[in-house]
Formats: sequence, structure tokens, C-alpha cells
Amino acid sequence: MTRTLPRSRRLILPVLVLALVAAGCGSSGKSHSSKPSAPKLAAATLNSSGATFPQAFYQEAIKNFAGEQPAVTINYGGGGSGKGQTDLQGQLVDFAGSDALPKPEDLAKYKGGALLYFPTVAAPITLSYNLSGVGNLQLSAATIAKVFAGQITKWDDPAIKAENSGASLPSTAITTVHRSDASGTTANFTKYLVAAAGSAWTLGSDKSVNWPGGQAGNGNGGVAQIVKSTPGTIGYVDFSDAKAAGLSFAAIKNASGQYVEPSTESASQALAGSTVNSDLSYNPLNAPGAKAYPITAPTWILVYKNQTGKAKGEALKAFLEYVLAGGQTAAASVDFAKLPDSLQQRAKAQLSQIVIP
Amino acid sequence: MALDTAPAPVAPPPPLGGGSHPPGARADTVFRWLSLAGGGLVLVILALVVYSTTRQAWPALRKEGLDFVLSDDWDVVKGQFGALAFIFGTLVISVIALLLALPVSIGIALFITEVAPRRLQRPVVYVIDLLAVIPSVVFGLWGILVLAPAILGFYQNVADAVSGVPVLGNVLNGTPVVGRSFMTAGIILAIMITPIITSITREVFATVPRSQKEAALALGATRWEMIRGAVFPHSRSGMVAGAMIGFGRAMGETIAVALVIGSIPTTKLQLFGSGDSMAAVIANNFGDASGTFRSALIGLGVVLFGMTLVIGTVAQALVGRAERRLGAVAR
Amino acid sequence: MTAVDVTGPSVALGGPRHRGVRRAKDVAATCFMVLSVLVVLVPLGLVVGYVISRGIGILDWAFLTDDIPITDRTIGPGMGPAVVGTVTITGAATLMAVPLGVLGGVYLNEYGGRSRPARVVRFLADVMTGVPSIVMGLFIFTIWVLAFGFSGFAGALALGCLMLPVVIRTAEEMLRLVPAELREASYALGSRKARTIFRVVLPAAAPGITSGALLAVARAAGETAPLLFTILLVSKPNFDLFHGPNTALSVQIFKNATSALPGPQQRAWGAAFTLIAIAFLFTLAARLVANRFAGRHAA
Repeated sequence: MTRTLPRSRRLILPVLVLALVAAGCGSSGKSHSSKPSAPKLAAATLNSSGATFPQAFYQEAIKNFAGEQPAVTINYGGGGSGKGQTDLQGQLVDFAGSDALPKPEDLAKYKGGALLYFPTVAAPITLSYNLSGVGNLQLSAATIAKVFAGQITKWDDPAIKAENSGASLPSTAITTVHRSDASGTTANFTKYLVAAAGSAWTLGSDKSVNWPGGQAGNGNGGVAQIVKSTPGTIGYVDFSDAKAAGLSFAAIKNASGQYVEPSTESASQALAGSTVNSDLSYNPLNAPGAKAYPITAPTWILVYKNQTGKAKGEALKAFLEYVLAGGQTAAASVDFAKLPDSLQQRAKAQLSQIVIP
Repeated sequence: MALDTAPAPVAPPPPLGGGSHPPGARADTVFRWLSLAGGGLVLVILALVVYSTTRQAWPALRKEGLDFVLSDDWDVVKGQFGALAFIFGTLVISVIALLLALPVSIGIALFITEVAPRRLQRPVVYVIDLLAVIPSVVFGLWGILVLAPAILGFYQNVADAVSGVPVLGNVLNGTPVVGRSFMTAGIILAIMITPIITSITREVFATVPRSQKEAALALGATRWEMIRGAVFPHSRSGMVAGAMIGFGRAMGETIAVALVIGSIPTTKLQLFGSGDSMAAVIANNFGDASGTFRSALIGLGVVLFGMTLVIGTVAQALVGRAERRLGAVAR
Repeated sequence: MTAVDVTGPSVALGGPRHRGVRRAKDVAATCFMVLSVLVVLVPLGLVVGYVISRGIGILDWAFLTDDIPITDRTIGPGMGPAVVGTVTITGAATLMAVPLGVLGGVYLNEYGGRSRPARVVRFLADVMTGVPSIVMGLFIFTIWVLAFGFSGFAGALALGCLMLPVVIRTAEEMLRLVPAELREASYALGSRKARTIFRVVLPAAAPGITSGALLAVARAAGETAPLLFTILLVSKPNFDLFHGPNTALSVQIFKNATSALPGPQQRAWGAAFTLIAIAFLFTLAARLVANRFAGRHAA
């Protein structure tokens, strides 16, 4: 993702270098939760909305954070990355969860001024399916692209058979399941297909795509519900929701040619191999590495650099601090992959850029 | 439901005591203006609704022009907003709902007014009232978790039975056949609009002049012949009005439909396949929408409002006409 | 001059065999009518039955008062904030819509009558009852939420706009049923118009108006679409209608209905049970009040 950096952002690099040096000199590996408890914050309510992809993690983080700071109430309304971005544009929420970063032409719509992107966790996007008798499906990008483009219509298609010689595939029709709402998960999934499937994928990449046919679900949970209750379906669902719903998911062929199952480990492998930009955007999709899961999706929390209220600003900063420290340890319990240490440090350093009145 | 048969208000006699400021006159004026405000509020709100929604929808409507309602090219990413698929879906499920609900509602109304013994009338009316007050979201919850999965087998059997038959084979089908489809939405809507159609037709049937009914029976007619000969002719416009009001309600129904229609915009008439409707797509997408997309969704709301307005107005006129006629005869 | 149908009923008569056919048709028609009633009982029974059977397991005091679990996949109660939201938002909507609606009904029946403005208002009120609830939600979003943010009050405004025309028309019809003699007697005793309406007419029509208002409340409590864009979602109860987002039973059910997990689904059934119970109770109350009214004015 190339982007011309506005002047304010070019200051990040020298600041980060200094911060990294300082962090390197200081004690390392001490997580937030083992420090003596931070001073209690004043009462505040933070409202947010956005991506359903990391929703389970944010809910867990909010729950744990409420234990540390009982006076702060945080509401995460979900609704999809698109909703989060729109709500933040109109300053209807204090922060937004989004799997896709705002496009440069949309930045002017954010009424509160400049934004800061805080990466929080990452997780695999699974290809979950409902096919009795088939447990270990293996798929490659080209096959997935053709299935979702409507070119492969039956489960026993030669292309699928070629990749799954051991499985007994029935001749039932494939029903693809996609999102009915604007979704960062859709954006990342289609971005992967553009990168990995090449000419086999022609529908482009965005939060909403013109799917030919199939079924539509509302939110990651909605897609999971349809896959779970309808035989013959295949849909893209975040790892955490797929596991919680008890769905079967496929092993995907990565850039190194290996079929890798989705897990927090394979996601971390993908993160380790990605380059991070100065505004903390990065792209772990189709990452190199033998054990990397190719459809590992990032997600960020978007906040305004200039906060409007003291109590809210402090609460927001403290919550982000938790997410980037203690929250990282909690991520695995809800099936999310924590950020690599270097990225955690960079994100924590970016916290100092938040301006609180 | 009567409209212009309102009597002229009873006027008080001139106050005793005279004088330029008789006691209580000010209270009178204040109260009069307060009441006028209460009534005028309706005008204000409606005007505001029309104005603000149209204004918000204007960017999208101006961009698309007539294509907004004539084209089915709805591509959010490319910024194309042809809403034909949603208008189509709304009409399809409303027609299904009306076809299913109208006979049943008329049957119930006839039962209440002609067949039921006095003691049964009230309980049946109560039961219909209970059906009317069940929230739409509860119907939706039941529809998506209970009805859709359960009825899928039935759809597949029917689709298999008629496959190959021209026309019917295509209509009673779906790519794929699913529980969350036009048909399921139509069935749930039918359940939801039955109470209102029953209520209106019941009122109309109840005002058929007794003399006509008794005359028919005196001539040796069976009850069914009496209904056909005396009740139906008088109630024709009332029944049509009831059907139209039910149809309008079905068109505007949002939540239950959003949950069971499948959310796939299409202009193919396949009743066992997924579709989408105007109200459902607004409910499912408004939160994420911004810019022209949001304008387009509000534009859908404007079109929906316009359509229900037209139907509602014609229906009200029919009800008024029916009641005027019946009112004159009943005297 | 309204046409009166003097052609009389059209009835076919004939011999014994024909009579048999006519009899058969009559029986068939009666069967159809009875069947219609039974047919409509089936979905009513199924819906209420499923809601009760699936919702009752989770229904207890904790369910009605506990906070909504922050993590979706938690199994167990509660829906406390949603109950608070439904009660406060519907209550606020009622407080706004009923007095204004009664005033509007008073205008239509006591002052307006057949005059042109009254006819326009009457027509518009009828038209307004047909406005799809989602259009009201969009409207309030446009003029209120964009300026003042999400709040329970915004939701109450949307619900109030939906209730207003219904209350106006109900109030007008109940006022019309009050016999003219009551008004005339009051005037004869020297009361002015406002006083008459306040002291004599409204109290006489009160049971009917109350019944209508209770029904409007029952419907409003179950509305979802107008609240979707106006109140957002919260997991802790928010008693302040004017600040901050809120939630309601209807919105929570809508949100949980598309979940694949048992926890949210069960909470949705429990919330549906609660909503139906509220709606049925208010409907029952409306009937009881109306019956008292009918008793009083039995002609």
C-alpha cells in the first residue's frame, strides 16, 4: 500500500527511532498486568463501533479492562468496518475498529482531523464449509477464486478433487456465503485473492463486492450461522467465530506452496514476515514463510489524534495501552494472534502522539 | 375509521355576563390553539419527513435520474445505484403476502360477522388482536431460526416435483433453493398483515344493512348465497381498501423481512431463492453507508414512502366512499 | 345524492338437485371460514409456543436485571439494559405522543369538524399511520442524530412520531362517541368550551382513549427499525435518555438473531418472551379498559 505521507506523519520516523532506542535501553518483556495497578481513571464512557472480525477480542479486552478500571465504560457496537469508519467520520463514536484503513480520498471526511492507526491483533480468515464426511479440505487461491466467482459450482469439480485426492467429495452444488454488509473481512479476503489468484479473480477488492449468487450474512457471525445451518455451503469467517461455532475450515496453500491450517501460530508466522509502514499499516496477506497462513488479516483501531475531552482522552489512551500490553496475552484465549514484539513497541510509542486537552 | 362523515362540532351558546373579557375566554383561546398545534404537528412532521429525506437523497437521485428505479445495476463500489431489484423484491413479497392473507382474512371476517355464535365472536377477535401485537422482530427471530430451516425440505420437494414444467418450474425454484427466500418472507408477511385486513373487512361487513341480509334469507338463500348476494356487493370497495392497506403494510415491513429474505438483490422471479427488498436493504446497510451510498439508501426510503403513500391514499378514499354509501343506506 | 342499492340481493333458486348443489356450496363456504380461523391460529400458536419453550429456560430475575455479557459467546443472562431501554424509551415516546395526540383529536372533533383544515389534518394523520417505521428512523437520524448523536431520546422521538397519528385518530373517534347531550348540558350550565372539553368530554372519553393509547404503547415497545439508527448499542444500562447510546429488547433480538452461537440465541428468545409478555399485557389492559367504557355507554 503506497501512500504519500502528510508532513505531520514524517515526524513519526525520528520519534519512533528515539522511542525504539529508549525501549531497547529500558527493561523488556514486562507486561502491563504485572506492574502495580495503574492509578484509577475518572469516570468516562467510550463509544465505538466497527469491524466484527476482531469483535470477540475487543469484547474480551473490554471485559478485562473493566476489571482494572471500573469507572470506565466502553461500548463496542460492531456493525462492520464500514460502519466504524462512517461513525468516526461524523464523530458519533470515540474510536472505530476497522480491518481496512481509510482510503486517502476519504481522509477529508473525518471531521475531527488527523487519524492515528493502532494495530491490535491479527487472525486468520478461514474458509469454513459445511460438508458432511469431509474433514480436511485443502484449497488454493485459484480454486477459491473460481468457486466464489461462480465458475466452480459442484463440490466434486476436478479442480477441487485434484487438491484433495484422499477425500470423498459429493456431487452437491456449492453455495458460497459472503457478507451482506460493508466489511473489512471482505476487503482483506478479496485483497488476498487479487494478490494470490492472479487472473483467476476478476471481481476486484473492496469492502463490498459484486458477488455472483450465493448467500449473504450480516457480520462474521451471520456468515458463520448460515454455514453452520446449511449443508453444502462455504464462506469466509474469522478464525475466532469459526471455532466458537464449531465449523470445519480448509487448509490453504501459501506463497511457499505449503497447505497450512489456520491457527494463531500460523497467523503469527505470517505477521513475522510482513513489513510495517510508518503509520503502522502493514499487509500480512499472502506473506512468505513455509508455515505462514496466507489469509492472515490485520485489524486496527482508528482514533483521532486530537482528543476533545480530558477524561475520554485519558480513558482511551489507557484502554489502548491495555490492548497493546496485557491484552496481547489475552488474545490467544479468544483465538487471535498477538502482534510481534517490535510492532507492539512501535504502537505503544505512537500512543504518545495522542493529544489530550 | 370514518373520515368526512364527522359531525359539525357542537357550539356553545354565547356566554352570559357579557363584557369585553368574559371569564375563561383566554383559557378558551389558549386551549384552542393548543389543540390546533396538536393537529398541526402532523402536518409539520410529515412535511419535514418529506423535505429532509428527499434533500438527503438528492445527490443519489440526481446522479441516477430515472435509472434509480429503472435499472438493476446496484454496485456500491462503482457508485451505481439502480434500485430495480429492491423494488422488484418488495413487490414480489407483498404480492405473495396478499395472495395468502386476503382469502384467510376475508374468511375470518365472515366467520366473525356471519357464522360465529355471539359467545365465540369476542374470543376470536381477541386472538386476532394478539396476533397483531406480536412485534415484527419476534416474527423475524422465529422465521430465521425456526421456519426457514424447517420449510426448506418442503421447498425442495416442491421444486423437485415441478422441475421441468415450463414457467412453474422456474418460479417454484431457486438458485439455490433456500429457506431464507422470497417465499418465506411472503409467508411471514401474510401472517403479519392478516389482522389488519381482517379488522377492516370485519368493520365493512358489519355495516351491511340487516334488511338486505334478511331479505336474501327470506327468499330462501343459503348463508353462502346471502353472503355473495348481499354482503359482498356492498363491501366491495371496503374489501379492496382492506387489501390495499394490507399491501401497503407488507411493503413497509422491515425487520422480519430483513432477517428471512436472504439479502441477495435479484430480478429473477424464483420464489424459493433469496432476494432483497427496499426496507430490508436499508436496515442491513444503513449503518455502514456514507456519501452517495447513504443518499441512495435514503432515496430508497423516499421511493418506498412514495409508494406506500399512493396506495394508502387510494385506500383511504375507497374506505371513505364505502362508508359514505353504507352510512346513507343504514339510516 | 348517494346511490342506494335497491336492486336487492341476487339469489339463484331452483329444483331439488340444484338445491343439493347449493347446500354443498354453503357447507363448503362455512368450512372455509372455520378453516381460516384455524389456519391463523397455527402460526400464532407456533410463534408463541416456540418463544415460550425456548425463552423460558433463561427467564429469571437475573435475566431481567443483569448486564448484557460483553463477550458474545458467553452463555447465560442477561438483558437488563435492554429492559431499561425499552421501558424508558417507550415511556418517553408515550409521554410525548399521547398528550399531543389527544390534543390533536380534540382539535379534529371539537373545533375542526368538517372544516377544510380539519379535513386536511385528518387525511394527513391517516396517511401518516402508513409511513413505514424505517422511514421514521431515517428521518430522525437525519435531523437529530447527525446533530446530537445517538441517544435514547432520539429513539423516543422516532417512536413518538409513529404513535402520534394513531393516538390522534383514536382520540377523535372516542370523542365522537361522547353524546352531544353531555356537551349541551355543560354549556347550558354556563361552562365555556375549553372547560367543557376538559371537565366533561375528555373524562367521558377517557377509557376509550386510554385503551387506544395502551394499544399504541404495546406496538411501540416492539418496534425495531426506528431504533436501529438512533440508539446504537450498549451492554450496561443507561438511564439517561439524553446522553449516550442505549439499547432496547427489540434491537438486541435483531442483533442476536443472526448469531451462530447458543448464548446470544438463547438471550434473544428470552428477550422475545419478555417483549411478547409486555405486548400481551398492554393489549389485555387495553381490552379491559375498553370493556368498562362499553359498559358505561351501553345504549
